[in-house]
Amino acid sequence: MNAAGSDGADKMHSKKPKYSMFTQQELPAFKPILTPGRVITLFVSIAVICIPIGLACLYASENVVEIVDRYDKDCIPSSYSTNTDDMISYIQSSTTNKTCIKKFTVPKKMKHPIYIYYQLDNFYQNHRRFVQSRSDNQLRSKENEDKVTGCLLEASNSDGPIVPCGLIAWSLFNDTYAFSSNNVTIQVNKKGIAWESDTQFKFGYDVYPKNFQSGVIGGAKLDEKIPLSEQEDLIVWMRTAVLPSFRKLYGKIEEDLDANQKITVVIQNNYNTYSFGGDKKLVLSTTTWIGGKNDYIGLAFLTVGGLSFSLAIIFNLLYLFRPRLSRVQLCGNSDPDGGWERGGVFEQAEVEPGGCLDSIELLFQKQTFEFDDLGLLSLGFSRSGQQQNLLT
Amino acid sequence: MNGSGLQNTFGMVAKMATLHWKGDEIGDGINYLTDVMIEHLDCITKSKFEAMSSDIAIAQFRFLERLLLVHGHWCYRRMSSMICYFFYKNIAFGFTLFFYEAYASFSGQAAYNDWYLSFYNVFLTSLPVIALGVFDQDVSSQFCLKFPVLYQEGIHNVLFSWTRILSWAINGVFSATCIFFLCIYSMEHQAFRKGGEIVGLEILGTTMYSCVVVIVNLQMALSINYFTYIQHLFIWGSILFWYLFLLGYGAMDPTISMTTFMVFIEACAPSPSFWLMTLFISIATLFPFFTYSALQRRFFPMCHQMIQLMSFHGHVEDPEYSEMVRQRSSSPTLVGCTARLEAKSMSFEGET
Repeated sequence: MNAAGSDGADKMHSKKPKYSMFTQQELPAFKPILTPGRVITLFVSIAVICIPIGLACLYASENVVEIVDRYDKDCIPSSYSTNTDDMISYIQSSTTNKTCIKKFTVPKKMKHPIYIYYQLDNFYQNHRRFVQSRSDNQLRSKENEDKVTGCLLEASNSDGPIVPCGLIAWSLFNDTYAFSSNNVTIQVNKKGIAWESDTQFKFGYDVYPKNFQSGVIGGAKLDEKIPLSEQEDLIVWMRTAVLPSFRKLYGKIEEDLDANQKITVVIQNNYNTYSFGGDKKLVLSTTTWIGGKNDYIGLAFLTVGGLSFSLAIIFNLLYLFRPRLSRVQLCGNSDPDGGWERGGVFEQAEVEPGGCLDSIELLFQKQTFEFDDLGLLSLGFSRSGQQQNLLT
Repeated sequence: MNGSGLQNTFGMVAKMATLHWKGDEIGDGINYLTDVMIEHLDCITKSKFEAMSSDIAIAQFRFLERLLLVHGHWCYRRMSSMICYFFYKNIAFGFTLFFYEAYASFSGQAAYNDWYLSFYNVFLTSLPVIALGVFDQDVSSQFCLKFPVLYQEGIHNVLFSWTRILSWAINGVFSATCIFFLCIYSMEHQAFRKGGEIVGLEILGTTMYSCVVVIVNLQMALSINYFTYIQHLFIWGSILFWYLFLLGYGAMDPTISMTTFMVFIEACAPSPSFWLMTLFISIATLFPFFTYSALQRRFFPMCHQMIQLMSFHGHVEDPEYSEMVRQRSSSPTLVGCTARLEAKSMSFEGET
């Protein structure tokens, strides 16, 4: 540091950088510490949050009435149901009668709207090549009719591009259900089953199906007079599912169904799930604020809440029975030899008669607990060498 | 200065100084230290040229104490925490993708949108790690100087042992398992909203990804003890940025946003089960870590945790507590005011 120069200003020329809290790393900070009180408070508050939510979710799930009916095996006539090949030939033939009638009873009163789903199992709608086999551009507007490169399969035929192209559209589900009770038809509302963002933005109102299912038939045919934005079954089907077992919305029943009411369903068993060992199920379900029937959410919340509460109690007991002493009792005595130990292991120091506590073996980062003669647990460290009295 | 180089250097210095302690006067010991430092740490008190090529340059010898005890300790701690946490967050994220493949017949279908995948390491989880690596302090600088035993955490490689690294990795796998399976079971086939709608791939991807982002940032908040406005901004800001991104990206034209188009605003946000699942999965995933942390800090505290507790309770000036911490040292204290006082008391007692 240079002293003041000979010019008139006489300023100290210091190279010390300007102080700021940021550069000196002295910013005001919140330093939370996990003290026993805070830990227990946190556990109790988690329990207080989770348990009521769990109970509410469980109650909601219990109020959902759900009817699940597997029909793919039942809806095969007995002459074809012996082996899989017969089943496949039955389903692929265009002359066999696919009508199937099933009956079931409503277990509890179901309030409208009652949602009708079809559930497929072992159907990997989330397979990468399946998910990619579509052309969003083509679905949106008529001028993009030729943009079929993303589809790869079922993209075009000799007459031109297929609209809508790709495997997802081609494999559209085509079973139908007609409900009646005591010979009175129950109306099924098939409007409003798709997401609005799809019907308004992703599927064009000027795009009409063309050349669809012209070769090998993979699923339902589409009415060529209805634009894609109104083909809600297609739109629902094209929102690819997450897991190999999934449900898709078929329609809604807008009237109540009473308990013990007998429902008759006329199913057209068209869809071929027999080739790949898939299942088909028909599901009727009501919904609550949490959605459909899933006890899992409520039970999971209750489990976490219960676990949290029991941990709060366990921690409370632990802190009660093994408290840290407010004053640590040290013991040590002068080692006349002096000197320092190298490394981490120390010998046990001798205890003075009537000494404060038993000494404990110290390894770096490990400590053992022992009770002193007052029966109090204490943490003590001993070290051979001089007793340090640096602050005196 | 990389981690292992730092460690080796500190170790060597400590050993050499130990050997030299007995029988020498303080002056010789410290001169020897200086020589060793100059060789191994490239600390220079001389020319500007050498300073530019060195790792660290200090202007005066008296700054060495602060360099070692404060910045050495902080640097070791920051780097080890940062590396362990970095592994954790990427494992937690990557394993959810791997688990999903088992349900997609291993076809390579990602559970998340491409832009989610790209943004993870860039915007959503990078800033908190930077805050950890640059600004984190476990104890303040005055306590680092007062308790040189903290410096030995580096020498003995307490914070970056294989046990610690693997524990963080296993924590990551556990987090991914919890997130994935809890999401899958709660959004299985049934409707997830009052309107009877079913979960599609984009909705599950958004839910699972939101859980990952929230949990990974909360894990950061649980493992650090030092919150300045920077840490608050980066951690909570990252979580907020994710939801804002969902809103913004989802509002773009479907040709750009593809499957994310309006997924948050239309499907996820109005559904109570989306928010409940995020809350529940965060609590369930971080629960074991929190329990372990509480137990470890209470019954098996490390040096810096003892000092944190002491400063919290105001016991830092208490000689017995200070003694307790100092006695954790397995090597004698060689640098700092502690050493100078000891040497003074030793020379007064006539010991050599």
